[in-house]
Amino acid sequence: MIDPWTLIIIIGMATVTVTTRIGGYALLRGRTLSPRLLATMEAAPGCVLIAVIAPHFATGRPADMLALVITVVAALRLPMLPTVMIGMASAAILRQVL
Amino acid sequence: MTFITEQASSAQNSEIQRGIRAVTPILFGLVPVALAFGALASQKGLTASEVSLMTGLNFAGGSEFAAIGLWQAVPPLLLIVAITFLVNSRHLLMGAALTPHLAGLPRWKAYAVLVLMCDESWALGLADARKHRFFSLPFYFGQAVTLYLGWMALSTLGALAGPLLGDIEQYGADLAFPAVFLVLLRGMWPGVVKASPWLASLAVAIAAYLALPGAWYVPLGALTGLGLSWLMAGRT
Repeated sequence: MIDPWTLIIIIGMATVTVTTRIGGYALLRGRTLSPRLLATMEAAPGCVLIAVIAPHFATGRPADMLALVITVVAALRLPMLPTVMIGMASAAILRQVL
Repeated sequence: MTFITEQASSAQNSEIQRGIRAVTPILFGLVPVALAFGALASQKGLTASEVSLMTGLNFAGGSEFAAIGLWQAVPPLLLIVAITFLVNSRHLLMGAALTPHLAGLPRWKAYAVLVLMCDESWALGLADARKHRFFSLPFYFGQAVTLYLGWMALSTLGALAGPLLGDIEQYGADLAFPAVFLVLLRGMWPGVVKASPWLASLAVAIAAYLALPGAWYVPLGALTGLGLSWLMAGRT
């Protein structure tokens, strides 16, 4: 049921993830950072999140691109659940139609 | 004495319940995402127990989607672990932001808070702390544990249902993931000028995705954005 190689990968993932979770606290407890570093770090979560979803902006399929535009517009105005539903529904419908 | 303890524990219970109530709408939003993740993972050949194990030990959806995206017959260990680190490097900043709120806590409680920290639990916990000028541990654990169990259970369910659903792209399920990230990005939108590193990151990531194999687009995009952010921070 659990492949040994898969288990090794999962343990590797979990190890680095826990490190990122406790690392900020462990390193910064009782220290001060330069304002420039703090300002740079402010942009980091957004830079990472948007890079992760970049492939969705480059599929080249018109149905996918249009669905993504609709999802972006929904995400600007709506909470999580309706945005997810609109994103999924628009992709499902547009892939049938286009 | 007994009376006081009972009163304290009932106050604690109501804080836990308040946490569960606060996270419920987010959990509903994650239902299709977690199901889609489980189904995608099963299409790539992962079993339901492997999905439970991954979501239970790693508990960071973005990196799990990225890992599944890179999954092959023999998945590349170093690449997946490196991308997991890159995708989750934002936790370093999130943990740093939580640090002042953890100041008075015993070390093990602070680590318990951090181990359960994901985008959603972090955002809810900080927003609640700002509103009440107090970081409520039972509120935090109420919502964070709900998210943890929900994510694990729903993605496992997705893995079990995946083979019955066939190709889940026909339901648009793969759009669930960018939809969640876009809503999270909207929540942290810092204004056009400060968001320009995001756009640089996106542009370079798209170019790298089209030009290079593997997942180099994540580090190349993110580092470009951070470089621009560093330059901009130096000018002010």
